[in-house]
Amino acid sequence: MNSFFKSVFTITIITVSAGIMLALSYSFTKDKIAYQERQEILNAFKSILPYHNNEPDKDYEIINNQKVFVAKDNGTITGYAVNIINTQGYGGAISILTGTDSKGAVYGIAIIYHSETPGLGDKITNKSFLDLFQGFTVNDKIAVKKDGGTIEQFSGATISPRAVAAGVKDSLTVINGMIGK
Amino acid sequence: MVKNIIKDGLYSNNAIFKQMLGLCPTLAVTTSAVNALGMGLATTAVLTGSNLVISLIARYIPKNVRIPAYIVIIACFVTIIDQMMKANFYSLHKVLGIFIPLIVVNCIVLGRAEAFASKNTPLYSLIDGLSVGIGFTIALFILGSFREIIGAGTFFNISVMLSSYNPLLIAVMPPGAFLFLGFLFAGKQFIDSRIKGEK
Repeated sequence: MNSFFKSVFTITIITVSAGIMLALSYSFTKDKIAYQERQEILNAFKSILPYHNNEPDKDYEIINNQKVFVAKDNGTITGYAVNIINTQGYGGAISILTGTDSKGAVYGIAIIYHSETPGLGDKITNKSFLDLFQGFTVNDKIAVKKDGGTIEQFSGATISPRAVAAGVKDSLTVINGMIGK
Repeated sequence: MVKNIIKDGLYSNNAIFKQMLGLCPTLAVTTSAVNALGMGLATTAVLTGSNLVISLIARYIPKNVRIPAYIVIIACFVTIIDQMMKANFYSLHKVLGIFIPLIVVNCIVLGRAEAFASKNTPLYSLIDGLSVGIGFTIALFILGSFREIIGAGTFFNISVMLSSYNPLLIAVMPPGAFLFLGFLFAGKQFIDSRIKGEK
């Protein structure tokens, strides 16, 4: 029985000290981690939206259960952005951030995360591919060439570009709902 | 003693090439030189820390609960490293993702704790952790470099091949990891047999 208590005692001491260490390390790093995570979002907004000096992640309205982020330059609306997660990718969900100008035409697109095949489907993150969407509005047909659209699919990968196209299309519909309001 | 520990960790008893431990992260994250280096260094940091702490307290831990005790200590180090990487190397942390927390179950770390740190002095354990970790990092780095150069035509994201070079995609895909690791094993065997032959 004595050795049983000794074991319990030892493990208790070790886990409690590990817990204290983790609490300390968490309190030292949490601000920096939050800052980095926020910075990543703000950088993404900078790359896909026209010039703005507000913080779009805090400036949003909800349309059809989707957050529409609004970019403003000294209070004048310069663009909108929507983050849509399309689950039709080859490797699962693709998170797409679509930015438009104030009239709802695509200004820039960023892929926040994806799990497409390296070397094939992951070309959806290439700038040359994402630039193909520029200028599209909700009235355009946004689809890969195989589906009768204008977006170039890659050899060996149609599913990933198709998922992105669908995501952009959905985003534009949401943004259009916002502009029409 | 110290010389033997270093030589064992770096080469003659290398975690990957000789003991073939920790192959899961080895195969999974060596798609590029940067990822391989990041993973290797994170593991080295955990290994050094856990080896030191375990060698300090091993004699106070009853034998029947030593494995859970070691795992708690290792998990504590891994979580601290995970948080520090997230705070300071955010983009690298994002790429390595789930494989950082999985260092907890990397059998190299528990293996060194059980086979070395629990039986040796803190100083020796520290040196052992460092050399095994660096040996692991070097192995990962070689594999990652080959895979990146051949599979993507780049090295540390800088193009190193002629523009006409058509990357051999399979090198950065999962099957490529097995193939290249096999070639590296064969290469190591070849060098070893040459050294033996000369003696």
